[in-house]
Amino acid sequence: MTTRTVTIPHLGRVEGHGGIHVTLEGARLTEVNMDIHEGSRYYEKLLVGKDFHEVQGIITRVCAICSADHTVAALVALENALGIRVSERTSALRGLLLRGAAIESHALHVFALALPDFLGFESIMSMAERFPDEVAFALRLKQLGNHIQSIVGGRAVHPINTLVGGFGRLPSHKTIDSLRRDLAQVMDPLSGAVELVSSIDVPEWAAQPTLYVALRPRGSDFGFRGDVICTSGGAENPVEDYGQSVREFTVEHSNARHAALETGETYMVGSLARLKLWGDRLHGVAEESFGVLFPDGVTDNVLLNTRAQLVETVYCVESAVQFCESYLAFEEAEIELQEVEARAGSGIGAIEAPRGTLFHEYELDDDGKVIAANVVTPTAQNLANVERDLRHSGDCLLQTAGVSDTDLKRSFEMIARAYDPCISCSVHLVRPGR
Amino acid sequence: MKTQHPKPRVGIFGLTGCAGDQLQILNCEDRLLELVRELDIVDWVMAKTDNDHDCALDIAFIEGVVATELDLQRLRTVRERAGFLVAIGTCAVWGGLPAMRNSLPKETLRGEADTQSDLFAEVAEARPATDFVPFDFRLTGCPIERGEFLALVRAVLAGTTPELAAVPVCWECKTRELPCRVIFHQEICCGAMTRGGCGARCPGHGVACAGCRGPVEEPNYDANVVMFADRGLSWRDIAARMRAFSAPVWMSMGLEEEARRIRDD
Repeated sequence: MTTRTVTIPHLGRVEGHGGIHVTLEGARLTEVNMDIHEGSRYYEKLLVGKDFHEVQGIITRVCAICSADHTVAALVALENALGIRVSERTSALRGLLLRGAAIESHALHVFALALPDFLGFESIMSMAERFPDEVAFALRLKQLGNHIQSIVGGRAVHPINTLVGGFGRLPSHKTIDSLRRDLAQVMDPLSGAVELVSSIDVPEWAAQPTLYVALRPRGSDFGFRGDVICTSGGAENPVEDYGQSVREFTVEHSNARHAALETGETYMVGSLARLKLWGDRLHGVAEESFGVLFPDGVTDNVLLNTRAQLVETVYCVESAVQFCESYLAFEEAEIELQEVEARAGSGIGAIEAPRGTLFHEYELDDDGKVIAANVVTPTAQNLANVERDLRHSGDCLLQTAGVSDTDLKRSFEMIARAYDPCISCSVHLVRPGR
Repeated sequence: MKTQHPKPRVGIFGLTGCAGDQLQILNCEDRLLELVRELDIVDWVMAKTDNDHDCALDIAFIEGVVATELDLQRLRTVRERAGFLVAIGTCAVWGGLPAMRNSLPKETLRGEADTQSDLFAEVAEARPATDFVPFDFRLTGCPIERGEFLALVRAVLAGTTPELAAVPVCWECKTRELPCRVIFHQEICCGAMTRGGCGARCPGHGVACAGCRGPVEEPNYDANVVMFADRGLSWRDIAARMRAFSAPVWMSMGLEEEARRIRDD
């Protein structure tokens, strides 16, 4: 039996530096590694000794695409540690910020990173010749996501306006009213994009049963904030016990940790997981889009994650309009910032980021300085499942006659990309000694 | 221009970092297709799969710090390939937040042993890309400003370089007549030490400057430290705040030992 390797040294169209390395014996895969070779930046250790006011400005820089999500998770964790409850208006504005971040992130991934795979292009730039209107719309949608982040967070990447206890400057009613109209205007072309994506076949070789994990949204609607970690297997754990439910471990070939549940099972977090668990809570055009893109409900195939992100984009636009309306119902003000007294304590903040469940935890001393910090990212949670899917689909494809290494590579890339990995996020951490 | 192609050949690269500067290029949404018409982007792993990793480049943009041996290899290769090399973002220009690790003891960062393949071998200190090879232009910012990036591209296409704001954030803040974060709010604002070009965005939102664009030319650190200390702000807080984005400069101030003593107390 001859042994050979298939290697993708540097994955394209993903955020950060990673590759795939596969060893085959004949038509059997013996080793499947997703190599993460992005350098570590040790953010959790860098935060030690910093004042709680400074945490957000530092931890947001773990990752650019998810900077608003890290911001909200960090602020919630710090506020829990300090025993503060923010106002309804602050909460609404943070909800709007999370929608903006998801619209930008999903538009980028669906149209610029994933869709070229399905349509046979190497990038969104080369797609523009054949699909000029669609590409122009995708970029406009992405820009709208960034516009929301600029209005609420002060800029598109690494928000500055988002503080422990509130906001430095509240957006004017005029700005939010105009945003509400911008949002309404993308609904029609967005439905067109749903039609386009629903017409693209999704290959079956990646289909296999998967365990999904997502926070249960507060209230009765779909959403990105919750207090209970739920699995598609029916298990439920409060966010406070995340350290018990999410077991992180290190592997040789990756600068990012991997994760599994207490049971040892690997799992998926992200859009597909959220739709699997809570898709029946969608309303309006999002519900219709869910029906169009998932006529049989969510089925096990990670390549459907791109469709799930598109459904969530529709949800985010509709939900952002609602947040604008709730915001406009409050009396106009310039700032909203609670006085915060430093005190010792620890707190956890968990949210659903575009790529899945994100946990932040901080412990503060009497002066409000950080004693310890911990961040568990969606990508780190997904990595073990990515490898499992690569192995399965590799085996599946090798059963088919005439599959070349080029075909294998392309399929592996499609799977890795479907998870929308955010590699910068995943390697922030401190690698413990072996 | 290094190559003889009708459109300049361009590569966009990232070392260790958050990819925020590459994202800011993608964030030029309404200008992206126009950029593609004028530039032949032949190597950009974050956005394309059909990349030429060997060809000569007229212009290359690179973000991030050198944190691993692999980063250093990548950087050297890009330098060799590029006619005009631009450092984008505070990490590449100054070291940014990743350089904060340099002041912490190594064992604090990594636990006891780490046996890694050569791929992961870390260099002793995370340092800005500009410390290792010569650069033709430095575009700072965390992340870079969209407008400054577009101005740079326009200028380079015209065979020149842009005149970007060289004033401190403090100056931009004064021209906006914003209330001073130091005088009126007793905050550690880095605006007087930090290069402008952001239009004093943070003070405009009622937030002190964190220094994210890196130092302005000839910053007067000593005077700033004294100004903060005179207002009763603690050494520990001043050190922690200034270290965040001014790490390389902070080291050379001779205050490193003082900061370490305070931390160990």
